[in-house]
Amino acid sequence: MWRVALRDLQWRRRRFVIAVLATSLVFGMTLLMTGFSTSLHNEGRRIVAALGADAWLVAAGAPGPFTTSTPIPAGDADRVAGMPGVIRADPLVILHSTIRQPAVRDVNVIGARLGGLGTPPLASGRVVARTGEVVADTELGLRLGDRVELSGRQLQVVGLADQVTWFFGTPTLFLALQDAQAVAFDGQPLAMAILTQGVPRTAAPNLEVLSNQQARADLERPLVRGAQSIDFISALLWLVAAGIIGSIVYLSALERLREFAVLKATGASNRSLLVGLALQAVILSATAAVLAAGIARLLAPMFPFTVEVPPLAFPRLVVVAMLVGLAASAAGLQRAVSVQPALAFGGP
Amino acid sequence: MIDVNIRDLTIEYASGGYVVRPIHHLDLRVASGELALLLGASGSGKTTVLSALAAILRPAAGTIRVGDVDVTGLRGAALTEYRRHRVGVVFQAFNLVPSLTARDNVQTPLWAARMPTRQARQRAEELLDRVGLGDRLAHRPGDLSGGQQQRVAIARALAHDPPLVLADEPTAHLDYIQVEGVLRLLRELAEPGRIVVVATHDERLLPLADRIVHLSPAATAESRPPQRLQYQPGQLVFEQGAHSDLVYVIEDGQIEVVRQRADGTEELLALHGPGRYFGELGPLFGLQRSATARAVDHAVLTGYTPRDFQELVGSGRIAEAIKRASS
Repeated sequence: MWRVALRDLQWRRRRFVIAVLATSLVFGMTLLMTGFSTSLHNEGRRIVAALGADAWLVAAGAPGPFTTSTPIPAGDADRVAGMPGVIRADPLVILHSTIRQPAVRDVNVIGARLGGLGTPPLASGRVVARTGEVVADTELGLRLGDRVELSGRQLQVVGLADQVTWFFGTPTLFLALQDAQAVAFDGQPLAMAILTQGVPRTAAPNLEVLSNQQARADLERPLVRGAQSIDFISALLWLVAAGIIGSIVYLSALERLREFAVLKATGASNRSLLVGLALQAVILSATAAVLAAGIARLLAPMFPFTVEVPPLAFPRLVVVAMLVGLAASAAGLQRAVSVQPALAFGGP
Repeated sequence: MIDVNIRDLTIEYASGGYVVRPIHHLDLRVASGELALLLGASGSGKTTVLSALAAILRPAAGTIRVGDVDVTGLRGAALTEYRRHRVGVVFQAFNLVPSLTARDNVQTPLWAARMPTRQARQRAEELLDRVGLGDRLAHRPGDLSGGQQQRVAIARALAHDPPLVLADEPTAHLDYIQVEGVLRLLRELAEPGRIVVVATHDERLLPLADRIVHLSPAATAESRPPQRLQYQPGQLVFEQGAHSDLVYVIEDGQIEVVRQRADGTEELLALHGPGRYFGELGPLFGLQRSATARAVDHAVLTGYTPRDFQELVGSGRIAEAIKRASS
């Protein structure tokens, strides 16, 4: 009976194509939403990893290095460096600001001690060697040698780093500690956190030790509602896709009631009819899922920040889409099963 | 050799909250090689009998035997086996699958029976060749004429070479040229080892049949002496669903007219006493009884043929009775 189902798909190909297109757009959106969500998590993971710390020390009671409003003396880094378990300790300044040259852009700013922890891996150029220099995120579109203006300070781009964004793709500038302190604290020797190589084995007075995981959680916390909204929209999109598949299969079942009755009357089993109808739902879902992968790849670069659709999301979408297609077509399947073969004896 | 034996068959279903019995105590025997015609007006139960013969409808009472198979007792795998191999049905309005070619339509029963693809294809082509459509294998129903579609439907019914072929109104959607070819084909199918049962209201098919069953006897125009009938309390005068023959006038006693509801209860429609008549519409129009009439106490009735009754009361009273019944 699967042949009958395939022939029926061919027969109603126009409707099938429309349904596939509509469903693939919805599936494509779910893939992009998955990409948004993944990007948010990856940004946090990447930036924390890029700074190369084993532990983060912030003011006692502060939520974390990225959201704290309680600075600590930068000189505490020297005290921390002497603590058991710590190999090296450097102060770090983290803030949000805007650059005005070459265009107005929001940026994250990280100020680190020259040659110390807090320097990202570079895509090109060199690390900051003196004040007045900056390593810029490639997202900003700057080139080596370009100049940027940050809070009235002219900085020269000496290095470029890839994928060091956070807060929905906001690019990052890496400066000398003094430059960052000048922007954030009017030159006072303060820091938001102290990064350590090695983990302190004893408690530091007035300081709290955070792991990389905790530092990442601090960065992601303000984004939780946004991420939840994305997940919610994603779930709604799955429902829309299920609705499209379900209604197409149900309508198909309704139109084919007489056909099912005839097939039953000529000896077709309920199971074979179910398999045929389920096959249609699976083919529709799987085709839409494959097309959705292309749509997502096509649309992703058009978004203002990197949309990272994990490679596993594509095969997962196909599998989940087929399951959703089957579940959504339950009403149609039920309708087909309940058809009485006596209906075949009816007139036109 | 097979034959079809129907004994005391009653089929009923619920409609509008009441019990409807399109078939009431039907007996029929068709021998191998015969073509039987079930003749009757719309609603007379022709298709219902075919459905029961195809094991698609389960009767309320009675038995159907096709050869050595008790059709009414079939369940599960045996039922599927019967539908697949013992009976082929040519449905009214062809009922071909529009998305399939003529060849694929004929193959559907073979696919259902899991016949190997090549074998099924070969069988379908043989059958289409036999019905004169060897050059229309890849045509879809929409590209075929009514007569050609009907021939595809016949080929599909023959897919498993069943000993019983049922055809429901095979000429209903055909012009007279197409009818000729289909009739010839049906007649040829009724050969030793096979029975063809055709349900139709088309009396042009009468010469085709070896056996004719009138499921809705026409209103009789004959005249015969009135019958004086006596009934004991509770005795049935006629039963809902039964064929009608007489109109009754009450001489003595009381008669209750009840209609059987689908839930098994009865609805009292009327209670008639001496001097009243009842049961006039069924015999006048050749319909089955739409209600049951039962003696309440000892009753004496006179039964008239519809013609005699019309003469007795006059056409004006008949028209009045029809109005009263329909209001």
